[in-house]
Amino acid sequence: MTRAAATASPAERTLDQMDAMRRGFSLRRMRLWLFCALILAFYAVSWNLAGIDLSKLATGLPKLGRWIASAWPPDLTELPLFALRTAETVAMAALGTTFATLLAIPMAILASRNITPWPALYYPVRWFLNALRGIDSFVFALLFVAAVGLGPFAGVLGIALHTWGSMAKFFADHMENVHLGPFDAVRTTGAGRFTTIAYALVPDVLPVMLSTTLFWWEFNVRASTVLGVVGAGGIGQELKNSMDLLDFPRLFTIIAMILVVVMALDQLSGWLRKKLV
Amino acid sequence: MNQQPHIPPAPLAVRMTASGVTKRFDGRAAIEDVSFSVDAGEFVAVLGPSGAGKTTLFRCLTGLLAPDAGAVRIGGVDIAAVKGRARRRVAVVFQQFNLVSRLTALDNVLAGRLGHVPAWRGLLRRFSRADRLLALECLDRVGLLDKALQRADTLSGGQQQRCAIARALAQRPDLIVADEPVASLDPAASAGVLELLRGIARSEGVGIVCSLHQVPYARAYADRIVGLSHGRLVTDVPAARFDEAAFAALYGAEAGAGKF
Repeated sequence: MTRAAATASPAERTLDQMDAMRRGFSLRRMRLWLFCALILAFYAVSWNLAGIDLSKLATGLPKLGRWIASAWPPDLTELPLFALRTAETVAMAALGTTFATLLAIPMAILASRNITPWPALYYPVRWFLNALRGIDSFVFALLFVAAVGLGPFAGVLGIALHTWGSMAKFFADHMENVHLGPFDAVRTTGAGRFTTIAYALVPDVLPVMLSTTLFWWEFNVRASTVLGVVGAGGIGQELKNSMDLLDFPRLFTIIAMILVVVMALDQLSGWLRKKLV
Repeated sequence: MNQQPHIPPAPLAVRMTASGVTKRFDGRAAIEDVSFSVDAGEFVAVLGPSGAGKTTLFRCLTGLLAPDAGAVRIGGVDIAAVKGRARRRVAVVFQQFNLVSRLTALDNVLAGRLGHVPAWRGLLRRFSRADRLLALECLDRVGLLDKALQRADTLSGGQQQRCAIARALAQRPDLIVADEPVASLDPAASAGVLELLRGIARSEGVGIVCSLHQVPYARAYADRIVGLSHGRLVTDVPAARFDEAAFAALYGAEAGAGKF
């Protein structure tokens, strides 16, 4: 490919420029390498901090295998108790999620830049929601067990607070991205702000809200199985007891029970959500 | 048909022949017995009211739908029968441009080479110097050489459509199918895009089939106008001979009143 620069076509000149830019030592390339090095370092440090030790896994796995073997046949004598405890867990999740939804709707409106009636509150509300979201229901439950005592009520409060933050943020993000054309159209008819929200936004957002609520309920059932571990009621409590006593047949039954219920709920909520959307 | 003075790079030839193309959905014919052809360097506009079957026809032309009867032959090959890279014979320009918004204009145009190069080059986005040169030449052809490294979503609508045309060109197709390419553009950008398409037909000897909603555009830029109505080809005339009667036959007498 021999050609004088003068006879090169504009496209050829551009290509040569681009190739020249790519070659050699440039600030851009240095930044890229630096970035890659940082990522590598991040993973190296994480690996160390997480105490990854494959030899421990190698010795631990057979132990786990023996436990699983000793779990058969499962112990079914306490099935009614487990059923009650599981129902407790599902109820905790349902109530917590419902309270969270009710609280999340007004907060979501305040936390949507495009529709909030009080823009001054936008950032405080967002910070508040982020704080709720940042603290896991598990941690909230721990606090409430200390405050209101052992039992599912502490679990409900824990779930409600964390889900409130997460859901309101999700709703708000959704509403900020919603197509505002219909909203503007209804507003120009002379309707008030809340009427406009109810008339133009709610029909659009409601199915998403219901579907998210179902999703969170299902998620919270799974999450609240462990709440019992901190004394916040439900099947998690039995789970912890069995583990403490190394009673594997009992443990097996509990885990199987949780699996069945979670899968059934998953199907139910999936079916309901499909109906909604 | 079009005997304008220009130097076709290939001898004047038929680029696309649709013969008796019929496509039914649930027994109802969306298009029935549609036959027309496109010569090299010819710009054919397809007109017709919404629901006349333009979309179905275009999907048959691009090989995305196989006709129930008849065939679309492009460069002598039945386009419904070929798969994969042989599809590159037909390039498509869409109403909504369909550029990959996070890629540069150049990378978008290079997509036109994917039917020509080994898969790994596409996966790694590593194209040969010759391909990149061709892509830049295509960008130059549509007047976007200086935007080569700009992200596609930072281009204006008209520029995006030009970039999409460059992508079609880089495919080195026999036929460019443009599905309402100016429906989302302002009049100035529309005129520019249609001017460009006609120029490309002339200089590259590509056949162009272009659906339009505005009759004046079709009359101004196309060599020939074919009209679809209720799935049937009711008009096939040189653009200059598309008159009030042809308009009325296509869109109904009332719609045509006072348009000419």
